Amino acid sequence: MLANNLRTHHVNMVVTTSKQVSNTKHPELCVWLQDVAIERDKLAFSKLFKWFAPRIKQFGIKQFNNEAQALELVQETMTNIWRKAHLYHKDKGAPTTWMYSIMRNMSFDMLRKLQTQRTETISDDIWPVDNILVSEDIDNFEDHLQNRELKALLEYLPEKQKQVVVGLFYKQVTQEQLAQQLNLPIGTVKSRLRLALNKLRQLMGESDD
Amino acid sequence: MIKHHPTPALLLAFTQGQLGASLSIAVSAHLEHCECCRHKVLALQETSAQYLDDDVELDEWVDNEMIAAITDDDYEIHPKQSMPLRVNLKGHEYTLPRALQSVGLSNWLKLGKLARAKVDLNEGEVHTNLLHIEKGGTIPLHSHKGFELTLLLAGEFKDEFDTYVPGDFIWLNDANTHSPSTENGCLCLTVANNSMHFVQGLSQVLNPIGKLIY
Repeated sequence: MLANNLRTHHVNMVVTTSKQVSNTKHPELCVWLQDVAIERDKLAFSKLFKWFAPRIKQFGIKQFNNEAQALELVQETMTNIWRKAHLYHKDKGAPTTWMYSIMRNMSFDMLRKLQTQRTETISDDIWPVDNILVSEDIDNFEDHLQNRELKALLEYLPEKQKQVVVGLFYKQVTQEQLAQQLNLPIGTVKSRLRLALNKLRQLMGESDD
Repeated sequence: MIKHHPTPALLLAFTQGQLGASLSIAVSAHLEHCECCRHKVLALQETSAQYLDDDVELDEWVDNEMIAAITDDDYEIHPKQSMPLRVNLKGHEYTLPRALQSVGLSNWLKLGKLARAKVDLNEGEVHTNLLHIEKGGTIPLHSHKGFELTLLLAGEFKDEFDTYVPGDFIWLNDANTHSPSTENGCLCLTVANNSMHFVQGLSQVLNPIGKLIY
């Protein structure tokens, strides 16, 4: 599993090493969602509701061609947002993207139930929003790195590779900044990172067996 | 290396939840293998989500009763654990895609070197199967009246067009004929909306195979 994560991460690392910026035109949505997540703030939730409910309803009417089902979609989606708010992290992207994935999932399961009479909830298996697809970003990678076992594995890396991994994933500098700090061409930083991740994958593969 | 991917249009429909369960499961299983399509889907998702960010003219609508009912309950949902199913076929242990972990599977039905289990999705003419071909197995030359999607989950197979690796997403329609064969065995997920049409002369003999794998 860990080895898998590493495998899926390494190209990501090369593409982006800075934190994703929340790309919403409405930063207040992010604030409200965090107030709901951290303080279970009901007022913030009703503000979120006021913004999202009419939009979800409109999406639902297109999807189901039926107002009652559109309202059910609003209720189901907003309920999930209330119950899952603690899983949202602003570094993982815009709150609207997170909300969208919850709305899409609810809508998929509802539509499937209507069309095929199958009631298992499978949307979360198809779009594993809470852990695989969305969280493939640097923060999640850091979470893994904070794992003591992984830290121990870093000790197996040659010093120069370790320097790059630690710089990029613990100290949050970009590859460009790191190249400057170490007075190295950016290509060298990238290739050291690649070698280091390969080595880590190998080590983890061995310990998995 | 994976060479066969879902089309951009299919990825967009997937992202927006507009495909049925069969194709959604197949795309999701492809994503487990394919990093580049995962990135595309993330980008499409961000774009699609802008719908929720737009300043559009909408009737103000607040339902205080609904809000109260929702916020009255302090229950928190935790992420569903990934517990993919495992199957053992001819001594090989296979881990099935995560997207199949909650759906029903029929028993395995065997015919020669082929074995299949139906995925219970109840989507009418669209049938979804897991298909196992034992080493040295071949499916006789056939075409498809509708479409046939094959997602290679494990092992390898080849046909007239190419040699495939796990994750390859192979979409054929009624214009194509092919005859897949595998040296060391393979496990596939297939989605088709019509049974196979065997183009060789022994159709009476081959019919059961067509029925078996549709």
